[in-house]
Amino acid sequence: MKALKIITLTLIFPGLVLGVLWGVPAAAASDACLKVIPEEIFLSPALIKKPVSFTGSGFGPNEMISVEMILPPGLVVKGVEEGEDVGIAVADTDDQGNFTAAMKPMATLNWFFQVGWTPLLKPNFKEAKPIPPGDYKIRATGLYSDKVAYSTLTIVPPPKKKE
Amino acid sequence: MGKRLGILFTMVVVICLSLTMSTFGAEKEVAYLSLADYTGPIAGLNVPADMGLEDFIKEVNAKGGVDGVKIKFIGIDTRYDVARAVSAYKRYRRTPRLLMVNSISTGIGKAVARLIERDKKAQLVPGDGEFQAHIGRTFLWGPAYQDAFAATLDWIMDDWKKKGKSGTPVVGYLSWDNPYGREHLRGGKEYAEKLGIKFLPPEFFPPGTLKHDVYLTRLAKAGADYIHAGGVDPTPTNVIRDGHALGLTKTIQFTTDYWGPTALGIGVHAEALEGTVITSFYERGEDARNNPFVTDQWKKYRGSMDKFNEVYGMGMSWGMTYVAGLKKALKTTGYDNLKANHMYKAYQELTGLKKHDIQGPCAYSPKSRLGSKVVKIYRVKDGKIVPITGWREVPNAVGLHTF
Repeated sequence: MKALKIITLTLIFPGLVLGVLWGVPAAAASDACLKVIPEEIFLSPALIKKPVSFTGSGFGPNEMISVEMILPPGLVVKGVEEGEDVGIAVADTDDQGNFTAAMKPMATLNWFFQVGWTPLLKPNFKEAKPIPPGDYKIRATGLYSDKVAYSTLTIVPPPKKKE
Repeated sequence: MGKRLGILFTMVVVICLSLTMSTFGAEKEVAYLSLADYTGPIAGLNVPADMGLEDFIKEVNAKGGVDGVKIKFIGIDTRYDVARAVSAYKRYRRTPRLLMVNSISTGIGKAVARLIERDKKAQLVPGDGEFQAHIGRTFLWGPAYQDAFAATLDWIMDDWKKKGKSGTPVVGYLSWDNPYGREHLRGGKEYAEKLGIKFLPPEFFPPGTLKHDVYLTRLAKAGADYIHAGGVDPTPTNVIRDGHALGLTKTIQFTTDYWGPTALGIGVHAEALEGTVITSFYERGEDARNNPFVTDQWKKYRGSMDKFNEVYGMGMSWGMTYVAGLKKALKTTGYDNLKANHMYKAYQELTGLKKHDIQGPCAYSPKSRLGSKVVKIYRVKDGKIVPITGWREVPNAVGLHTF
């Protein structure tokens, strides 16, 4: 009991006070859901025509959604500073708080393939540094409600060509 | 027990207060967020523009800031991607005293505008006339795209008459197939009709198109006397390069908007660009190179003029507007209570602000979101961009369109 009081006064109470003082926004508790379609891919130009897409539910009605890929520590992505997440899609929810979104070609080229751009504004695949295979955490955030939902996108190595 | 609790409570309060008080001694600072493109398709122009702004801010901060308040420049490389820009805005929207957000593309500006309105912040965008049609918290860098295009059409009519031609000319238009490319025609097309110009069905192509022969040939066959080539340099340079290779520049006058050929395009295709007409709201070519206010800063921070690009001056102009707005906002409310909403109000009071002739006087007001209302017409002559008119007021083409 005594220990509980000490913990309350030394940890929880200051945390609450500082949270209020600094206006730190806490992610709203929610039952929001996110689904990545498909959950597993390998990087190929086919993703431009048939991009990774997302569906979500449980968000606020008629709000903007930002879908982001949370970059694992140590992964350097062109144009993104360490510790930043990268936005890969945007969407609007309907009046029930549901949304669908797909990655635009620009997002697929920039963040999955990390292409360069020629002076003709054409993607330069010679400079491309595709992100490595692995599990990537995906987060959807309601930009009005602060509701969040997570899912995972798995990138696997491309299948070996048949000889 | 009660005594112990009292001591603990006092300790907690002291810790909290000391942590809070520590921020009071910190430097006074406001923020500017640039949702930019530093390594993507339009980096060639955005990099020098943000260099101009950053150097201008460095200069202001080195002199003690604005009434003691320093400006923090936050540059984010969106690589021209809307999803990345929205995510970056989400990350930085709660930055203390984030007073202005600059969105580098029409598409990004449209997406972020809704969040800006909701957050009661303020935004800058290139030339989207929609934000003049529906007055809100988004301000344009200069005149709206359609207004500047209408000014080009006025020049075309003058040129046509000067050449002794009768009737009205046939005008073709080709640009990127995106919100930027289409924006010019939302009012621009109506203005062409008003002038009696025969306006050919517009041609749109995806950014990154290698050759533009198909579109140009179609416009030429339809009888175009003038072709307006949109896109951000080097795109218009490449369109005109293709027109030159097809022999079209001998008979058709090419015009461009304010993202037409800069030092970037001229450096590679000077011969093809000879005679090209550029309508610009900011100083170009020789004008920019002869503006000591711009070149002195460039030399101080960047050295030799070899790599100078005129968009650098436009970036300085953003800085001048921000500083003038900040001064007004600070005067109204002081630093402690300063919010983006005060900057939004201050920008509306900047009517007439002069910017060392880099661009025309500021036209922001409660009823205007236009950065300025004048353009200059330039021509590529002997490999240089030279003015062929003084500053001239743009028509109100936004008002002709139903948004």
